[in-house]
Amino acid sequence: MAPLHIDPERSAPPDEGRRRFLTTVTTVTLATAAGAMSLFNMIFLKPRVIYGSSSKVRVGRPNAFPQGSYLDLPAARLMVRRDGNRFAAISTVCTHLGCTVRATDVGFDCPCHGSTYDQQGINMGGPAPKPLAWYRISLTPEGELEVDKSDIVPFNTYLEVAS
Amino acid sequence: MSVHEVVVPQSINENGGLAGFRGIHRRIWNSVFRKPAIPQNELEHSKAVADNFFLHIHSAKVHDRTLKFRTTLGLGLLSFFMFIILVVTGVLLMFYYVPTPAEAYNRMLDLRGAVFFGDILRNLHRWAAHAMVLLVVLHMVRVFLTGAHKAPREFNWCIGVVLLLLTLFMSFTGYLLPWDQLAYWAIVVGTSIAGYAPVVGKSMQFVLLGDYSVGGEALLRFYVLHCVALPAVLLALVGAHFWRIRKDGGLARPHGNEEGDSSNTKATVSHMQPGEAPSFERFPARAGKTYGLMCVVERSSPATKVEPECQVQSWPAALNRELALFVISLLVLSIFALIFKAPLEDPANPLHPPNPAKAPWYFLGLQELVSYDAFWGGIGIPGILVLLALLAPYLEWRKGGEGVWFHRSRSAANWMFLTIMLTLGILTIIGSLFRGVNWQFTVPW
Ligand code: HEM
Ligand code: FES
Repeated sequence: MAPLHIDPERSAPPDEGRRRFLTTVTTVTLATAAGAMSLFNMIFLKPRVIYGSSSKVRVGRPNAFPQGSYLDLPAARLMVRRDGNRFAAISTVCTHLGCTVRATDVGFDCPCHGSTYDQQGINMGGPAPKPLAWYRISLTPEGELEVDKSDIVPFNTYLEVAS
Repeated sequence: MSVHEVVVPQSINENGGLAGFRGIHRRIWNSVFRKPAIPQNELEHSKAVADNFFLHIHSAKVHDRTLKFRTTLGLGLLSFFMFIILVVTGVLLMFYYVPTPAEAYNRMLDLRGAVFFGDILRNLHRWAAHAMVLLVVLHMVRVFLTGAHKAPREFNWCIGVVLLLLTLFMSFTGYLLPWDQLAYWAIVVGTSIAGYAPVVGKSMQFVLLGDYSVGGEALLRFYVLHCVALPAVLLALVGAHFWRIRKDGGLARPHGNEEGDSSNTKATVSHMQPGEAPSFERFPARAGKTYGLMCVVERSSPATKVEPECQVQSWPAALNRELALFVISLLVLSIFALIFKAPLEDPANPLHPPNPAKAPWYFLGLQELVSYDAFWGGIGIPGILVLLALLAPYLEWRKGGEGVWFHRSRSAANWMFLTIMLTLGILTIIGSLFRGVNWQFTVPW
């Protein structure tokens, strides 16, 4: 076996460089892994399956709704409005901080911080920043009205139902 | 030869058979403590404190100023004791609690009516939580008014700010758990506030609730936050907070002579600022020799030749006071828990918010702000206040007034701080007493 020859002038710098390279590679690898893990953990917390109530609510047949009135459906936190043969679904969730508004003679009141809305759900007073939401309402094949609470439509959007 | 004949049988005897039990209690004891059972002198006291895992959070000796009641008013320690009491009572409550909308409220009723000692534990837990919020705020006020947030303690102040936020978040997640009306509507309003945060608001709200509306998923999430995630972070930060106190050289106290002249204390007294308590320079920069057993700080160490006339032994001086304070606080809290029941409103009813729907007292200042404008009241102003609090010690960088109540050179800072705190206090009082149905202004009398 040939004697091990160490040339101090040649071996020192490559060793330095190799260390620096390995340090960089290790640091970048571990940092990437840590970053990815944190990101995945954060995404993990964002649910993909909603176990709670479905965003679609069936509210009944069109002719069950009296003409020209609001029907409050507290469990769904919305009300259905009928104007002739036109239907609309308006949220009863206060746009300020989410309390449930109550119908009054002139519109709606929120008990939490005193916001007021008119009959259309337009914010008239108090801290509420915008009108009550209007939801998409459609007719199912079985002839029932269905409200999709995840689908907010422009103000004054009605569904025409042929009678 | 005769010596061997005596010694060998004896050693066999000691290591074998029942004789091995002789003196075992002493061997067990010594393996645990490695020290005399009860330290007899100053050296042994110091060693006991330094070597014991649970005691070594103290330095062997402390400045006697640290132990003066008027230095701290005991507020930091009391906050910590409340935390301990909350952990113990909280873990016990967990044995009965079920975090589902169907069960949670019933379990509260069970704790109140059926479970032995259940109501007392619940009362203790609730009142300790209220007390902790109050004490942590007061502790912050005392730290500021004594200038103890200034260099080199800026970062510990920042840890403190985070501890305050965690304390508030702990109580917010906690009062959700009974799933009564207060709980339900507090979380509706609270998570809606989070929804107003710029950019991330809506997804933060969604992640907090685990759903688009408040329900079982939200309850489960808040339960995990309240019982595991937040206390773990809080405990870790309390550890860091205590560690920093020692690394920053113990509690803030007035500077002695800045040049590090270790000659004696009289020089210090003559350099005293008017209104400053007499101080003794314990960590002169140019000290030749240092004590080994004291808390070690970077840059400087306590010098020999300076008479340790104002050092006292942590054991017994500090430990006795801490024990006394703990016993007194537990006693007061227990009496309170025996007399006053923790509130429980009607079961959560998603259809009808109570009117007025009020948060607990410490959030009513926030609720008052929010009733003017959701973004500014719930995100903007609180955000600015937290930022100001974090920056305060860095803005107030000029030396002077450390460890002195209402030091003259700091009166501007103190007035600003007190103005903010008083404003928040007044808002809290308005929200608590002067708001009625539909959040209309009313008078309580
Ligand atoms: C969970 C909450 C907290 C606990 C358990 C806690 C505990 C303590 C304890 C035991 C001390 C020793 C001195 C004393 O008792 O006053 C202390 C000192 C200190 N705390 Fe806190 N604290 C908490 C929150 C805060 C907050 C909210 C702040 C400020 C924003 C803060 C800033 C400080 C500072 C700067 C010191 C050093 C004071 C000095 O050197 O005189 N802490 N803390
Ligand atoms: S939630 Fe309706 S006014 Fe605040």
